[in-house]
Amino acid sequence: MKLRTLIADDEELARRLLREFLKGEEDIEIVAECGNGFEAVKAINELKPDLVFLDVQMPRLDGFEVLELVESDAAVVFVTAFDQYAMRAFDAAAVDYLLKPFTRERFGASLDRVRTRVGDVRPMTFPQNLKQASRAPGEYLERLVVKDGPRVHVIPAGRLDYAEAQDDYVALHSEGKSWLKQQTISSLEAALDPRRFLRMHRSYLVNVERIVRIDSNTKDTWAAVLNDGSKIPVSRSGYLRFREIVGGQ
Amino acid sequence: MHPVLQNWRSLLVWMAAWIPLGAILVLVAHLSGPLTIAQSAAVLAPAILVLALVCLAPFYVCRSLPLRSASGAKILLNHLAAAVILSGGVMLVGRFTASLLGLDRGFAPAVPMLAVITLMIYLLAVALHYAALELEAARRAEILVREAQLKALKSQVNPHFLFNSLNSISALTAVNPEEARQMCIRLADFLRTSLRLGERASVPFAEEMALTRMYLDVEQVRFGSKLRVQQNVDANCADCDVPALLIQPLVENAVKHGIAMMAEGGEIVMSGQRDGEWLRFVISNPFDPEAPSAGRNGLGLRNIRERLESRYGGAARMEIKVETCSYRVALTLPVRVLR
Repeated sequence: MKLRTLIADDEELARRLLREFLKGEEDIEIVAECGNGFEAVKAINELKPDLVFLDVQMPRLDGFEVLELVESDAAVVFVTAFDQYAMRAFDAAAVDYLLKPFTRERFGASLDRVRTRVGDVRPMTFPQNLKQASRAPGEYLERLVVKDGPRVHVIPAGRLDYAEAQDDYVALHSEGKSWLKQQTISSLEAALDPRRFLRMHRSYLVNVERIVRIDSNTKDTWAAVLNDGSKIPVSRSGYLRFREIVGGQ
Repeated sequence: MHPVLQNWRSLLVWMAAWIPLGAILVLVAHLSGPLTIAQSAAVLAPAILVLALVCLAPFYVCRSLPLRSASGAKILLNHLAAAVILSGGVMLVGRFTASLLGLDRGFAPAVPMLAVITLMIYLLAVALHYAALELEAARRAEILVREAQLKALKSQVNPHFLFNSLNSISALTAVNPEEARQMCIRLADFLRTSLRLGERASVPFAEEMALTRMYLDVEQVRFGSKLRVQQNVDANCADCDVPALLIQPLVENAVKHGIAMMAEGGEIVMSGQRDGEWLRFVISNPFDPEAPSAGRNGLGLRNIRERLESRYGGAARMEIKVETCSYRVALTLPVRVLR
C-alpha cells in the first residue's frame, strides 16, 4: 500500500526539493501540492492523505491553524526554517520536525519514522492535542480559525467579544455573529492571553475590553454588561478574577 | 571620587611622583636663603604633602568646565584664580611650619619663587587632567561605536532569511546546479556587502540601494514571480549620504510581512527623490490584513527611528501609513553629500 502524501509549502523550490527527495521512494505517492494554508485545508479534507509535509509560515493560514481545521489522521512532518515551533509541533503529535535546510539522510530518517508510525494501530488524535499545545510563556494566539462549511473564517483575537461553552463546542461571538468551533472552553482559555480574556463563568470566556460594567443580581451572582448590550452571567470566582485584573474595588 | 584615590597602589605611585618635584622645591628654598637642605626639607615637607593632594582637585574643576562647552576665557580665569588661591594656601602651610620650627626668617626670601613654581605645578596638573579626561571620553566613544556596529551586524542578517535561502540552494543543486551556483554567489555578494557597509557609519545612497538590490535578487529566487519590484530613484540621489543599512531592513520587512504572506504575491514600489536640501525615500507594499503574523514586527522600525534620531536630531522624519491592504514607509532626510 502506498503512502498518499501531500506537500504544503509556499515556496516552489522548497516543494521541489521534497519532490526530489521523495522520487526514489517506492511506497510514496504525491497526491497534492499546496502553496498556502487555505489550499492545504481543502486538499487534506478532500484527499485524506496518509502523510503531510507541512510548512509553518504560509500565507492565509499557518501550519498549526491548518491542523486545527482538518479532520485527518495523517502523519504530519513539519518542515520549517524556524526552530522555535518544535515544542508546539510535538504537542500537536507531529511525527517529525525538519529544519531547513536538511540532508537526504535526515529526510530518510524522517520517512522511517513516518513508516513505523503509520503501521501503528493507535489512533492519532492530533487536533485534540493541538488545542492544548503548549506555547512559550507570553506567546498567545492572535487569531482564531473556524471552519464555516467549506470555507474558513478567521477571527482576530481582538475582535472576539466572548466565547460560550456548548457541550463539545464553543460558540465564538464576534461583531454580532457567532461561530461554532469544536473545542473546549478551557483549552481556548489556555490559548488566549489571560490579561485580555477572563473566565467570568464556568461557561463563559469574556474579552475584558468589551465589559462596560458589572451589575449585581443577587448576593453571589453578577452579570457583565458588554458594549453591545449583551449580558454575561458572572460567577463568584469570575467576579474575583475581574476585580483582580482591573485592580479596582 | 578621584581615580587616583580609588586604590592604594595608584595613590602610592602619585605620591612617589612628588619626590622629585618636592626635591626641586627644597633645592629652590635652600638656594634662595640661608636654610640648609635638611632645614628646607623639614620646613617644606607638610606643604609638599598638601600640594600633592591639592593637585588632585583639578579633576572636579575640569569635569565641571569641559573644554568643549565652556568658553576659553572662562576656563582660563577659573583655573588661574584657583591656582593663585591654592598656591597661596600652600605657602601659608610652609610659613606656618617654618614658624613652628623657628625658621621664619630663613624661609621668607624663598617664598616668592616657591609660590610661582607651585602655581606652575598646579596649572600643569590642570592640563594633565584635561588630557586624561579627553582620552577617557575618546575611549568611551569608541566603545559605543563598537557596540552599535555589533548590534547592527547581529540584526542585519536575519537567520530565517539565511536558512530559507540555503534551503533554496539545496533544492537547486538537484534540479539546476547552474542556478544553485548563481544563488550561492548572490547570497555571498549580499552578505559580504552588508558586512562591509555595516562597518561604516554612513554610505552613499546608491550603495545602500545596491545592497537592497542584492537582497532582492536572493529573495527573487525564493519567491519567483510572487515577488515583483518597481524602483524609481532619481540619479541625483546617488551621492547623498545616508546611515548604512537604513533602507535594506525596510525592504526586508516589505518582503517578510507583505509579499511572503500573500498567496498571489505582490509588488514592492520604491521611489527616491532629492528636493533641494531633502532626500525623500518611499517604499510601499501590499499586505494581507488577515494573514497569520510573521513574527516580530516593529522592532526593526524602532531601531531605524532611533538611529535617525541620534544621527539627525529632529531633522529627519519617518512616516508610516497603514491602509487596509497596503503599508507605506516614507523617510525624509536632510541631504549631506559625501566627498
